[in-house]
Amino acid sequence: MIGWYEANLVLIEATFLNFLLALSIQVPLRLGVFSFAGVGSYGLGAYTAAILTLRYDVPAFVAIGAAVLLAAVVGYLFSLLVARLNGLYLAMATIAFVLIIAVLATNGGELTGGANGLYGALSDLTTGGVVAVCVVVAVLLALTERGPLRRRIEAVREDPELSLSMGIGVVPMRQMAFAVSGALGACAGAMNALLRTTVSPEEINFHLIVLALTMVIIGGSRSWIGAFIGSVIFTWLPSVLASAGRWQDVVYGVIIILAAIFMPTGLLGLVQTLYQKLRGRRSAAVTAEAPADDTAEERALLQALGGESRGGVQ
Amino acid sequence: MTTTETAPPVLEAEDVAVHYGGIKAVDGFGLRLPAGRIYGILGPNGSGKSTFLAAVTRLVPLTRGRLLIDGEEYHTAPPTKLARRGLARTFQTVRLLPELTVLQNVQLGADLHAPGGRLRSWLGRDRPSEAVEEAIERTGLGDVRDAWPTELSYGMARRVEIARALASRPRLLLLDEPTAGMNHSERQEVSELMRKLRDEGLAQLIVEHDVQMMVDTCDHLVAMNSGTLVAEGSPQEVVSHPAVQEAYLGKRWRSHA
Ligand SMILES: Nc1ncnc2c1ncn2[C@@H]1O[C@H](COP(=O)(O)OP(=O)(O)OP(=O)(O)O)[C@@H](O)[C@H]1O
Ligand SMILES: [Mg+2]
Repeated sequence: MIGWYEANLVLIEATFLNFLLALSIQVPLRLGVFSFAGVGSYGLGAYTAAILTLRYDVPAFVAIGAAVLLAAVVGYLFSLLVARLNGLYLAMATIAFVLIIAVLATNGGELTGGANGLYGALSDLTTGGVVAVCVVVAVLLALTERGPLRRRIEAVREDPELSLSMGIGVVPMRQMAFAVSGALGACAGAMNALLRTTVSPEEINFHLIVLALTMVIIGGSRSWIGAFIGSVIFTWLPSVLASAGRWQDVVYGVIIILAAIFMPTGLLGLVQTLYQKLRGRRSAAVTAEAPADDTAEERALLQALGGESRGGVQ
Repeated sequence: MTTTETAPPVLEAEDVAVHYGGIKAVDGFGLRLPAGRIYGILGPNGSGKSTFLAAVTRLVPLTRGRLLIDGEEYHTAPPTKLARRGLARTFQTVRLLPELTVLQNVQLGADLHAPGGRLRSWLGRDRPSEAVEEAIERTGLGDVRDAWPTELSYGMARRVEIARALASRPRLLLLDEPTAGMNHSERQEVSELMRKLRDEGLAQLIVEHDVQMMVDTCDHLVAMNSGTLVAEGSPQEVVSHPAVQEAYLGKRWRSHA
């Protein structure tokens, strides 16, 4: 008899790999940088790990480590290339980066296996190894979500000019984000290639970009917890929706649209707001001094849901 | 006050110009701000006051001119270097980080000088430093330290801006309309704080439209119009200067002092 775990092992592993992929988009986004380069790094990492494993038969951690390092360096160099771009233009340049990786994979001849990709990259990577990597990554990222580093990141995202006047180097922070994003994407790609033992160019497509972005936006873009929520939902949703048959894509699309409209801060943001609301009500009840606090709560909720806006530039 | 005639001014700006294409936002303006003094810039809307502060803080490139801190040129240095040299500023609009509390916003000002290197300050416990507590206390923010910026009145938010600048323990403080949106008693409190800080040796450069407050607060005024210097001197001299009366005040201004 096959247990639930064995039956769903592929999805369980995919959840963790998608988690890393989502983080590769989230890290730059937390600094206000819209970059999909992490998806390209996913492809770069997948091929690097597969090639090293096939040709040199290196242990999994060497193949993954090399892929991560290479993608971090490439991510950093790419950030120098796009240093002058911002917003939509930057996003487009990073999509181009993803497409270039896909084209290189398709036309890489013997090295990348062309359109067929690579097969038989057998390694000693286990599910436990994947989970361990994800735990380490989550702990490291959690450290960036508290204390002085969190304040720096908030400053760079919300107000680059203010950051400069406070001695915070905006450009180095962004370059670091590109390198980390590259490392995270490559880690996901490398581990996926080794677990599945194959990689092919059609994996690195627009769908992967959309998936990565959706996980972050719906889950929550401020914290690794949001990325994890998103990766759970969007790894398992397709199999849940399988019962919808050919309407599956439509239902999927409707869910995303509704989520984008009603949860602009993601699921995590919604949960946090509700929690604050509940706690606010309780403390108001205890002190019994809050007169008609409903309006204040409503305002806080609206503010949380409506996101934030800052005044002019001066 | 111990006047050190030989010591160079804390801030010196010489023939500063900032042009945006054809617009000469600042065009040959300058001043010398000694230690422990409050200088004020007066000027009508659009006269280039904020642009001058942006130039001094290296946030906009100079078209021409020289800038010096403690006699050392810095007009080609990046803006990120200035905080470490003791310069802090506030902006004309409230620029608090919306997802940080009042306390965290103020802490940001002190992070630059966190002891024990980066790693320790990132990993260790995040207790507010002495400078942070002092800045909060002096600006009267104790009751709202855990509030979010959106919960503050405009006047309160402005105080947080001042506290954030003070948390870096600057030697030179630039304030762009620090009391805009405050009521009379709040203004007086801020004015009092500035004078106290001056007596502790902090050099300040203030841009403000409230003439009475500028006269009461500043040691020296500089009047600006169309990006150039119109008049300079003691507050009384400057506000009674004909060109200033005409350009800025529109009518004769009388001190209530
Ligand atoms: N980025 C910019 N590009 C073009 N023109 C600008 C820019 N910034 C400022 N200006 C112009 O430069 C002039 C000076 O503006 P500045 O904001 O320095 O005036 P100000 O004295 O601070 O005015 P206020 O009292 O209203 O704050 C104005 O005519 C303004 O329109
Ligand atoms: Mg101004």
